[in-house]
Amino acid sequence: MEAVNPYAAIPAKIKKIIPETPNITTFIIEGMPIEFKAGQFAELTVPGVGEAPFTPSSSPHADDLEFTIMKVGRVTSALFDLKEGDQLGVRGPFGKPYPLDEFKGKDVFIVGGGVGFAPLRSLLLALIHDINDYKKIYVRYGARTPGDIVYKHLLPGWRKLSKLDWLLTVDVGDETWKGRFGVVTVILDEIPVNVKVAPAIVCGPPLMMKFVTQRLVEAGFQHEKIYLSMEQNMSCGIGKCNHCRLGKVYVCKDGPVLTWEDVKHVEEPFV
Amino acid sequence: MKTYLIFLDKISIFVTELAKEGSLYYSKLENGKTHFVAHHENISIEPEFSKIRTPENMKHFFFRSRDLVARFPKDKSPAVSKQFLVGLKNCDLRGIDVYDRVCLKWQPLDPLYKARRDNTVIISADCPEPEECCFCNLVGLNPYPDAISDINITRLERHYLFETLSKKGEVIIEQFKDLFIEAGKEDLKERDKIRKNAVKALEKFNARSLPDNISERVEKADKKAKHAARKDCVECHGCLHACPTCYCFLLSDYRKGKETERIRTWDACYYAAYARVGGGANPRSKFDDRFWNRFVCKFDYFMQYEDIYACSGCGRCWRGCSGKIDIREILWKL
Ligand code: SF4
Ligand code: SF4
Ligand code: FES
Repeated sequence: MEAVNPYAAIPAKIKKIIPETPNITTFIIEGMPIEFKAGQFAELTVPGVGEAPFTPSSSPHADDLEFTIMKVGRVTSALFDLKEGDQLGVRGPFGKPYPLDEFKGKDVFIVGGGVGFAPLRSLLLALIHDINDYKKIYVRYGARTPGDIVYKHLLPGWRKLSKLDWLLTVDVGDETWKGRFGVVTVILDEIPVNVKVAPAIVCGPPLMMKFVTQRLVEAGFQHEKIYLSMEQNMSCGIGKCNHCRLGKVYVCKDGPVLTWEDVKHVEEPFV
Repeated sequence: MKTYLIFLDKISIFVTELAKEGSLYYSKLENGKTHFVAHHENISIEPEFSKIRTPENMKHFFFRSRDLVARFPKDKSPAVSKQFLVGLKNCDLRGIDVYDRVCLKWQPLDPLYKARRDNTVIISADCPEPEECCFCNLVGLNPYPDAISDINITRLERHYLFETLSKKGEVIIEQFKDLFIEAGKEDLKERDKIRKNAVKALEKFNARSLPDNISERVEKADKKAKHAARKDCVECHGCLHACPTCYCFLLSDYRKGKETERIRTWDACYYAAYARVGGGANPRSKFDDRFWNRFVCKFDYFMQYEDIYACSGCGRCWRGCSGKIDIREILWKL
């Protein structure tokens, strides 16, 4: 039998494109070209252009694979030029999933910023799928403006779940905004979970990750229970090319979710 | 494994016979140094083993500077043909050892590397006369191979002594058994003497061993030490491309008709854009940190992963360096 080529992408079709905010769009890919668990990522290929790593935003239990993507560079720009029905490539899944078994019976504390909420959505949906296995799920989410909040259409449904506790904040509000103001740390004054045992999960822009991590450490969360979605330059996704290495850990293979314990010795882990 | 003798003048017959079965590359004497050259038909082969490793590094044979690794939408594995490499030295084999671990042991395995490795016969040779640039002894190697290759050759006074180091090697000797006789105790004694002298010569060049806790020292180096280490570097990145144990690469896609080709090219951690992320931020934007990355990678991390240094002591980085930076001097100062 011929060995599977880990560099080859599987062809897939874009089923639907949903603009979320001015520069963030969700791409729904038909079927499940790859099986993944919450926390793992995939490389998406734009034919003839290149590939980039993304964490799915859909539930691992869903029928289609979704990615919510911000336009930031060459590959994402090319991705934004694709249309429904176009072909792209998927390679993965790569990296380690969240240890959901360890979260069972505990409160789960999730902190997201901006488009960083996309990979957290996949986790949130996986948690909701087995919601009775967990004590309560807390979500703290900050965006720049109300217009930058992703998945607005899903919020009302999520808010109805009694085991889900939400707080939102925006840096700059508008006339419709009735929630909190300020960067995401303003909604972290109160931490209603047992920090000795609860896992905290963080994903967002580097500066936000840095301040949120500081806050969580101060609040007393265990360093090995603070899970951080790390962004590094990636190429191969399989622990060979060396691009993603952060200290001695490979973000692609040991991550992309690493704990504060894993990265706290690195001089500047959030860039 | 087993040892055999072949008369000095018979080696070219042996190598010429091998060349009928695939591409053959061997170390050839040119202007006082040996270089790796491809064998072409009707030219007699005179491999030379008396010198140290060739200036060119052998990673091309497994991992070309530009390799097609996948196609889209329909992938097809490339055809890999048989190759014989004659005259690699132990430091070259450390490079292969590093690649074997990264590409074969660490999952998922790299299929192109595996195909090339499976289709390669490696015939290595002792280094009877190490040179000033050599420090394989400081990174845990001897100037003579005893693993990784399929056959190893030591030149004795009147014979070449062949030692088979793998099943593949055994099969080859069996195939040409008319050319060989079995080696005796005296021959092994002669080899031991040659090897002892080689080790002595190496020790003369490298009287100081590396500090035991080199990994820790490399990890703990302060800003001043990192800055001092790179002061003569002109950022040509030659050391990384000449290095047999460096293997960083980058994947890029190119359109070819209706297909996309995924090309793997050598990369180097000294390039400013190497670690830059999609949004533009760069964790190693300062050259001091990039320069030091090579040291932590080779002497700290790889040691932690695999219990060997990702450095072979071949000295190519020093020989090829415009600033004449000797990696040993940096390590000794830590
Ligand atoms: S470093 Fe050692 S193995 Fe390499 S050429 Fe020199 S003596 Fe031979
Ligand atoms: S770092 Fe220098 S001495 Fe070590 S393997 Fe690379 S080229 Fe050879
Ligand atoms: S992306 Fe290549 S090693 Fe992690």
